[in-house]
Parts: sequence; structure tokens; C-alpha cells
Amino acid sequence: MTAVIDKGKCTGCELCALYCPLDVIHMEDGIAVVRYPDECWHCGACRQDCAHDAITFEFPPAMLAI
Amino acid sequence: MPIIFGGEVHRVRADVAVIGGGTAGLNTAIAAAESGADVLVVDKAHIQRSGAIAGGIDHFFAYLENGEPWDTREAYLGYVAKVARGAANLKIHEKVFCDELVPAMERIERIGVSLRQSDGTILRTQALGQPGPYAINFDGKFLKPKMAIDVKRKNIRVLNRVQVSKLFLHDGELAGFTGYDVRNGDFYEVEAKAAVIATGNTNRMFKSQTGNPFNLWYCPANTGDLHRAAFEAGVELANVEYVRLTIVPKGFSAPGFNAFFGMGGKFVNGLGQPFMSNYHAMGDKAPRNIMVWGALQEIRAGRGPIYVDVRHLSAKDLEHLFSTLGVDKDTLPEFLRAKGYAREGQLIELAVSEPMQARPSELCGSGVKIDETCASNVPGIFAAGDAADQMGCLHMCMAGGYAAGKHAARYAAKIAAPPPLKSRELDEERKRVLAPLLRKAGLAPGEFENTVRIVTTDHFGPYKSEVSLTAAIDKLDALDRYCNDLKANNCHELMRCHEAMNIHSVAKIVAHAALARKESRFIPYHYRSDHPETSEDWCGLVVVRKNGEKGVASRFERLHYDA
Repeated sequence: MTAVIDKGKCTGCELCALYCPLDVIHMEDGIAVVRYPDECWHCGACRQDCAHDAITFEFPPAMLAI
Repeated sequence: MPIIFGGEVHRVRADVAVIGGGTAGLNTAIAAAESGADVLVVDKAHIQRSGAIAGGIDHFFAYLENGEPWDTREAYLGYVAKVARGAANLKIHEKVFCDELVPAMERIERIGVSLRQSDGTILRTQALGQPGPYAINFDGKFLKPKMAIDVKRKNIRVLNRVQVSKLFLHDGELAGFTGYDVRNGDFYEVEAKAAVIATGNTNRMFKSQTGNPFNLWYCPANTGDLHRAAFEAGVELANVEYVRLTIVPKGFSAPGFNAFFGMGGKFVNGLGQPFMSNYHAMGDKAPRNIMVWGALQEIRAGRGPIYVDVRHLSAKDLEHLFSTLGVDKDTLPEFLRAKGYAREGQLIELAVSEPMQARPSELCGSGVKIDETCASNVPGIFAAGDAADQMGCLHMCMAGGYAAGKHAARYAAKIAAPPPLKSRELDEERKRVLAPLLRKAGLAPGEFENTVRIVTTDHFGPYKSEVSLTAAIDKLDALDRYCNDLKANNCHELMRCHEAMNIHSVAKIVAHAALARKESRFIPYHYRSDHPETSEDWCGLVVVRKNGEKGVASRFERLHYDA
């Protein structure tokens, strides 16, 4: 369960890393990385703030299959 | 003092310092600034997207005085007295909500968020035991960012990514507090004439439905940091014995309850049978705790899983339902699609959520005990929002947050300068805060936190008795020895260490408060199997405060209602 950032689309604007309420997104080598995927609240704030459509969400079996 | 970490130490001063920049905190800050105070907001995340409505919100409770008998202040207070009986203080409710409601709604619209539908009408739905449709449905997707912009416009100073660690008193009055930057370890010493605690409830305290402690209904960043710090400073807490639960989609602890049942969804069991009328006269429109109780009984009787049936809704209502689900939780519609729920709808499987330390009703709060001026028992310490015992939910955080800001500013205006902070105490606190970074080896915060969750869930999540609570307190006390073993590899993990310890501390307070209330109320939020009945003798607040180094003292404060 987490936000997934498309490295090809990320422009390094840093907004998602700046605002993430759970501090799971950090900048590494100029692009945003989901450093703590298990701590994502899936609030979708990062995706709403991304002007480049670089963020999607994936749901693991524990969410979809229970 | 010796250098224990490379971070810098900063000294900051404010008339009013707001701890927690969620909905309540930002309204507090705006009010205090408009009252002429020099204001500082300190937030563990970033105020643009922090708190419970980080990703959006879709309803606001209000009475509108539109001529219907249920749509008045008196009828609304009657509703509060009925569904929050024994937890809501009506005199405080009038001051922090009713008196502030109209300006709060005006403020929402002034910052650029409409409470109306696109055609200009106000859409209201009814659930949660309401006598009429009090829930205004609106698109609050950008309410939080727009509040943050308003804070910036008012030139209010903000410290983002700073977790507050301790409150300091001088001669029994607030002197200030400390905190650290969760990204670079810088340490902050804040001198403040008044502080307003607005840090929400305590989450990650009980096991979650998927096993992931961050897959939660409420914001997992809210970990009782200031419940613990306030308690340590001698602040009284109330309504903390309640262990709140709700109904969520199976697999994803997301909001949706109010939308599903407000729009007319039917709660059915595994046999396809509606069951809520067996538990409450209002059926699927019953108060939240009764809905949870009904679901737990059906599951226990072997009639699970539980579902919401929305197949009878009109195409227009279904469209509104699915769009509003996405307003409240951005990722929920795609989750439901990924599970295979077409819009026309199979039955959508639901679950009882994780338990949490939070208010027993939408009409009150759980935490710092406040009076009609939002003040605690400690001069200079105020509280607002879900962190206060008499506020919660968007409507009260908008309205009551503003009230807290006005009162804190008024208090600060009478004080020439904040009392002094003692450098020895500050140095000791800095050492305590940064200690997990300096250990060469130790326990991961997640492992410690998980152990706390097992104990809480086993013994009071939510069913409890004197025997189970006593066992929980013994086990939680025994966990103290691991606090000095916690190890952080970086500042993010340092934050998780302190959160884990705060959750642990608040869990103990919750257990002690639950032990003191020898009845059941808001079942199952406080269900004592050894005292299963609700008693008029306990119609009021269990108030707890620190007693000695490890003790918890409790007292009872009766609440009065006309009916």
C-alpha cells in the first residue's frame, strides 16, 4: 500500500516531499522517492499537489484480498 | 553542554504558540493573530497538508435556522445532550461551537471553499442519530491548503516539521516548550505566554484491520504527543477512557461511513439482512457507536461479513456518493474499483475499524479538559480541536479553534513576558530527545510500538474489565524499561521513537481512566464487562491527572442535562 512515484515524470519540484503529512517522501538525487512506503496513509495529498501526474497508488493483497 | 548532535539550537518567542497546525490549530492561529497577538504555529508535518483533513473533507455539521423544528440551536443542543450525554458539557458547547458557528461558516467561504453544490444549493444528509439532516455535503478537498494560505497571508510564523517534546512551567504557569526538527534534528526552545494544544487524538494505539498501523481511519501522524506532554505538565485530561471505533471499507480504513449511510445505504449482514433496527430505533441512522455495536454483534453471532447495500440508490445519488467518497479520501474510489465494485454496485464489504483514543461522539472531544474559554487547569495552556475534551470533528475544530485563539490572545495580552525557561531543564530535555540517535544498537521503534498495540488490543480494544485493565497497566508499566533501548538511525526514525513512547504513555492513561469509570457508556467505546450497564451515577467526566512519578489520579465531574 503506497504512493508510487514515476521517476520519468518527476521533475524534482519537491512539493510532495515538502507537504507529505507522514514524512514518507524525501528527495534523493533531485527526484522524489517514497522512502517509507509502509508508513503511507494513502491520503492522496502528494498526487493532488503533483503538477506532472507522476504519482499513482498501489494496493497490496492485505487491502484488496481480505 | 557537550555537543550531542550536530543540530543547532534555536530560541523562539511568541505571545501565543499553537501546537499542531491542523484545522483547529490554524483557526486558533488566525483568531489569535486577528486579536493582535504575535503568533507561532508549530506542526510535526507541514501545515499545507497536515492533520485529519490533509487529503480532503466532505461534510460539515450545522444547524441553519431555516424554519424546520430540528434546524435550531435549541434542537441541535438537544441532539448533543442526547447522543453525547455524559461526555459533552453543554455550556462549553454553546460557547465553543454555537456562538462561533456562523462566523466559522463565513470563514470557510471567505478563504475560497464553497459549502454549496455546483448549482448553488446546500445539500444536507442525515445520519449518526441526528433529528434532521445536519451534515452539509461540500467539496472540502482544498480546505486545508486554503487555510494554510490564509495563515501565510496574515504573516503568522510557522515552524513546520517540528515535533514538540515537553511543556515547561514556572511557578505553576506555562513558560514555554521544546521541540526538534524531524528532518534535521535542530532543537527549538520556545518561550510563550500562552500555548494552545491542537494535536488531535491518539492513533496507532491498537491493531489495525490489515496489520499495517498506518492504514487507519484517522491521521496516523497524531500520536498523542501533547496528550502525554500535557499530562506530564500536570494538565487534567477528560473523556480519555473512550476507545473509539467506526465502520470502514474492508481492507482500507478510510472515511465513508457518513456518506454511505447519509445517502441512504443499508447496513446488511452476510445473509443480506438489514440488522440495525434490532439495535436502535433509528436503524441505519443510529449514532456511530450503536452502528459499531450492531456490527460487532452480527459478526460475533456468525452472521458476518457486513456490507453496505447501495443498489437501491438512484443513478444520481450513486454518482454523488462515489464522488463524495473521493472528496473525503482521495484514493478510496480507485480502491473500491480495484476491489471490483462497479458503481451500480455489488454489496460493498465493510469492517469495524481499528480502535483509537478519541472522542466518543461527533459532539465532544477527548483530551485536555477545557473550560468555556478553552483554558486548561494550568494557566497559559489552552486546547482546541480533537485534542480538547469538548471539541472534535470539522465543525467544532473550525468554530472552537477560533474561540481558543481569541481566548489565548486575551490571556497573553495580560502578561508582560513569558516566565523564564531554565537552561538546565532545556539541556536535559535535549539529551532525552536526541538519545535514540546516539545509541549504537537498540530496539526499533516499530517493534516497541507493535508490542504496545498487542497489549492494548488484547486487554481493552475495546472490551475491558477491572481484571483486563489491571493486567494491561502492569504490562504497559513493564514496557517502560524498553524506552531507554529505542534506537533511531536518522531523524525520521527519531520521530517514530518518540511517537511510539507517546502512544505507550497515553495507552497507560487511557487504561487508568477506563478503570475509574465503573459503568459502560457509548457502548462499545467504553464497555466494561464487569459493569455492563450505563448508570446515571456516572453521567459526567472522568478527569485524570498525573499523581507522583508514575501514578494517575482520577476524579469525577458530573454533567447536567435538562432531560
